[in-house]
Amino acid sequence: MATLAPPRPKNYDDTFFKPISLWLTTTDHKLIGIMYMTTGMLAFVIGGVFALVMRVQLSQPNEKVIDASTYNQLVSAHGTTMIFFFATIFMTGVANYFVPLMIGARDMAFPRLNLLGFWLLPFSIIAYFIGFFVPGGALSAGWTGYPPLTEKAFSTSLGTDLWAFSLIIWALSGIMASTNFLTTVVALRAPGMTLTRMPLFVWAQISTSVLLLAVGAPLAGGLVMLELDRQFGTNFFTTQGRPVLYQHLFWFFGHPEVYIMILPGFGIISEIIPVFARKPIFGYASMVAALFGILFLSVAVWAHHMFTVGMNVYVETFFMVMTMLIAVPTGIKFFNWIATAWGGSIDFQLPMKFAFGFMATFLIGGITGIYLSSVPVDTQLHQSYYVVAHLHYVLFGGTVMTIFAGVYYWFPKITGRMLNKTLGEWHFWTVFLGFNGTFLVMHTLGLEGMPRRIVTYPGGFGEEGWGATNTFITLTSFFVAISVLIFLYNLVISWKRGEVAGDDPWGGNTLEWATTSPPPPYNFERVPPVRSHMPLRDLRAEGRIGQGEATKQTVEAPAAGT
Amino acid sequence: MPGRVGVCRRLLFALLLGVAAAALATPAFALGGSGLRPTVPDGVSENGHRIYDLYTYLISPFGIFVFVLVEALLLIIILRFRRSRQRPDYQPPQWHGNRWLEIGWTVIPFLILVVIGAFSFIELQRDFVRPADSVTDLDITVSAHQFGWTYYYPEGFKVNSEGLQATPLVIPTGKLVRMRMQSTDVIHSYWVPDLTGKTDTVPGYDNYMWYKVSQPGKWRGECAELCGTGHYTMQILVQAMTPDDYQAWVSDQVAKAKPSPSASPSSAAGAASPSPSASPGASASPSPSGSPSPSASPSP
Ligand code: HEM
Ligand SMILES: [Cu+2]
Ligand SMILES: [Cu+2]
Repeated sequence: MATLAPPRPKNYDDTFFKPISLWLTTTDHKLIGIMYMTTGMLAFVIGGVFALVMRVQLSQPNEKVIDASTYNQLVSAHGTTMIFFFATIFMTGVANYFVPLMIGARDMAFPRLNLLGFWLLPFSIIAYFIGFFVPGGALSAGWTGYPPLTEKAFSTSLGTDLWAFSLIIWALSGIMASTNFLTTVVALRAPGMTLTRMPLFVWAQISTSVLLLAVGAPLAGGLVMLELDRQFGTNFFTTQGRPVLYQHLFWFFGHPEVYIMILPGFGIISEIIPVFARKPIFGYASMVAALFGILFLSVAVWAHHMFTVGMNVYVETFFMVMTMLIAVPTGIKFFNWIATAWGGSIDFQLPMKFAFGFMATFLIGGITGIYLSSVPVDTQLHQSYYVVAHLHYVLFGGTVMTIFAGVYYWFPKITGRMLNKTLGEWHFWTVFLGFNGTFLVMHTLGLEGMPRRIVTYPGGFGEEGWGATNTFITLTSFFVAISVLIFLYNLVISWKRGEVAGDDPWGGNTLEWATTSPPPPYNFERVPPVRSHMPLRDLRAEGRIGQGEATKQTVEAPAAGT
Repeated sequence: MPGRVGVCRRLLFALLLGVAAAALATPAFALGGSGLRPTVPDGVSENGHRIYDLYTYLISPFGIFVFVLVEALLLIIILRFRRSRQRPDYQPPQWHGNRWLEIGWTVIPFLILVVIGAFSFIELQRDFVRPADSVTDLDITVSAHQFGWTYYYPEGFKVNSEGLQATPLVIPTGKLVRMRMQSTDVIHSYWVPDLTGKTDTVPGYDNYMWYKVSQPGKWRGECAELCGTGHYTMQILVQAMTPDDYQAWVSDQVAKAKPSPSASPSSAAGAASPSPSASPGASASPSPSGSPSPSASPSP
C-alpha cells in the first residue's frame, strides 16, 4: 500500500547490501543460505534459457536452428544445471536458512564447514560451464552421462572430464552439507525441542541429508572410475568392460537424488498447509514415518531406470515392486495434507496457492510413475517424451512449485518485506497454465513414439502431428519463461520496497516466526518455550505473543556467534 | 444450508463440464499421428498388444480413479473451506489424526499396487524372457552401430539400414521372429512403438526380443538411447510380408549376396560380426553357437 519507501522496522537488517568481504567470509547460516539460494536461482535461469533454445529447435519438424552436437550439449547442460545446480542447491539454501531457526539454534553445528561446502560449488559450476569453451564442447551424452558414449573413444572432448570433475566436487559439497545438517539437528535443538516436536520441514531435511550422505559417495565413485577409464584406460565401463555397471552406480545415486530434490519440498508443504488452514498437521507421526519409508525404499529402486538393458525378470520384478511400494508412503503424505486442509479455515494466500498447485500437478507425476514402474509398460515409455513429461511433473510440478511456495512463505522472514501480491497472482497463473500446457501433451507425444534427446524429427509416417503438438509446447514454454521473469522482478522490487512484513505475517507455528524479520545474526535473544511441534501457536493461544514476551526485540547485533 | 448446496451444484456442473469435454475430445485423441495419443500404441506384435492391455485396462482405470478422486478432493477444499466464505467465528476442528483413515489410505493403495504388480509380473514372465528354441521360427541378429542397424539373416545375407531413410527389417507374418540384439560401439535401443516395447543393444552381451505379427505392413521407429550426434538419424523400418512374399524376398537377397562373396565390408565393424551368418538355411534352428556369446569381448 505504501507508495513511498515505507519506514524500516526496528533493527531491519538489509542483509543483501553487505560488503563483499562479509559475503566471502561469513559463517552465518542465513547469509550462506541466501548465497545458496541465489546461486540456485541463477542456475534456474541459465537452465531455463537452455530449455527455451531446445524448444525453439523442436518447434517444427526438420528444424535447423542448432545442430545435433549443440543440441546434445544443451540437453545435457539443461538436465545437469537444473538437477545439480538449481534444485538441489536451492533446497540446500532453504534448509541452511531455516533448519537452525526452526530448531532454535544459533547457527549450524559446523559454521566453517558450511562456508567451505558452499564455496566448493562455484568451482563445480564454473568447471562444468568451461566445457562449452573447449574444443569439442561440454558433456553431450545427457545428464546421466552413460558410457561407453562418455568413454574416450566416443567423447574425446575435455568437456566430459570437466563434467565428471564438476560433479565429484558437487558430491563432496553435498556430503559436507549433509553431515552438517544432521549434526546440527542432533546437537543444537533448543530446550524442549524433542524429536517429536520438530517441524516436519526439519524431519524432511534429515531424511534428505541421510540420503545424500548415503549416495553422494557412490556417484563420486562411479565418476572417478569413468575418469580412470578416460585417463588411464582402466576399462571399467568401456566396450571391453561393463558399461551397465556404471548405470547401476549412477542410478544408485540418481533415484535417491530425485527424493533429495523433493523431500524438502514435502517439508515446505507440510509447514504451509497447517498455517493457512489454521489446523494442526494431520498425522504428524505418519508423516515422519512416511519420510523414512520413502528414504529406505528409495535406495532400493534404482534399476527401474534400466528395465530395457536386459536384466533377469526376477530382478526386474524386485525393482518394480519396490518402486510401486514408494507410492504408499507418498500417498500417505498426500492424504494427510488433504485431511489437514479439510474442514480448515483456509486463507488462499500465495504460499497456499502454490501448495495446492503443487498437489494438483505433482499428483500427475506420481500416477505416471506407477505406469512407468510396470516393467512391460515401461519398455514402451522408457526414454520417450512420456518420461520427459513425467520427470517435469515431479521436478517442476514438485520441486519448483514447492520452492515457489516456500519463497512466498519465507521471503518476509528473509527480507522483512512481503512479496507483491498482484505480481504473485500473475506469476502463479502464468506458471500453472504454462507449465501444464508445456508438459501435459509431452505425455501423448511419448505415447506416439517420440524419443527424448533427439535434435529433430522428420515429417512423414503419421508424424505430421508431432509438429503441431511440438509447436504448441514451444509456445506455452514461453509462458513459463514469462512467469519466471515476473517472479524475478517481484523478488527484486519487493526486496527493495515491498510492504514491511513484521515478525510473523502469516500467524506461523514454528520458531522462525518468533524472531525478527530478518533475524539477527545470532537468531534468537531468547528462544521461546517449546511444548509441542507448534510452539508459536501455543504462545498465541496463551496470549503471549504481541506483548513482546516471546519476541524480544533486539537492537544491537553482536558479532556472529562462534 | 443453502451455501453448501450452491457449492455442490457448482462443483457438479464443473465436473460434468470436464467429463463432456473429455468425451468430446477422446475421438480426436484416439487418432494416431495426431500427437495426442492417450495410450501406448496397440501393438501389432502379440507382446505389444499385451502391453497395451496392461496400460489401458489394468493401470489406467486405477490411475484415472486416483486422479479424479484426489483432484476432486482438492477442488472441494478450494470451494468449501475458504476463510473468506466462512462465518467469522468459524473454528476449524483441531484433528491430529485418525487411525482408521490413516490405515485406510495405506492399505487401499497397497492393494491396488499388488494387483498392478501381479499382472505386470505375469506379463513379464510371459513375454520378456528369451523365447525358447521350440517356439522360435526365425532368428535374426540386430547389430547396432553409430549410426545405423545391420540385420543378419540366417541365410547368410545381411541388410544394412543407415541414415534417415531406413531400409526395412523384413519379417514374415505369423512367425515368431526372435531377435538377438547387439551393439558394436555404444548403447543403442531398438524401438518400433507400433509393434512392441524397446530393447537396448549393449556392447558386451546379447539381449533378446521378439516380434510376432499377423498382418503385412510397415511400421516405423527409431533409436531410443542417445548414442551421439547421429542419434536422431537411426530410424527404423520394419516390414512384415506374407510367408510366400518373404521367401521370395529372401531368395532375392541371397541371390544378390552370392555374386560377390567378398561384399561383406572388412571394416572395423566387421570385427564384431555376429555368428548366425555362419549357418545358411537353418531358419528354424537356434543360433548355431547355441548359447549367446558376447560379441565384443571374449573375456570379462
Ligand atoms: C521452462 C521450463 C522447462 C522447459 C521448457 C523444459 C524443457 C525440457 C525439454 C524439452 C527436455 C527434453 C529434451 C530432450 O529430451 O530432447 C527437458 C529435459 C529435462 N529437463 Fe527440463 N524444462 C524445463 C524446466 C525444467 C526444470 C525446472 C527441471 C528440474 C528441476 C528440468 C529438468 C530436466 C531434466 C533432468 C531433463 C532431462 C535431461 C536429459 O535428458 O539429459 N527441466 N526439459
Ligand atoms: Cu528413479
Ligand atoms: Cu541412438
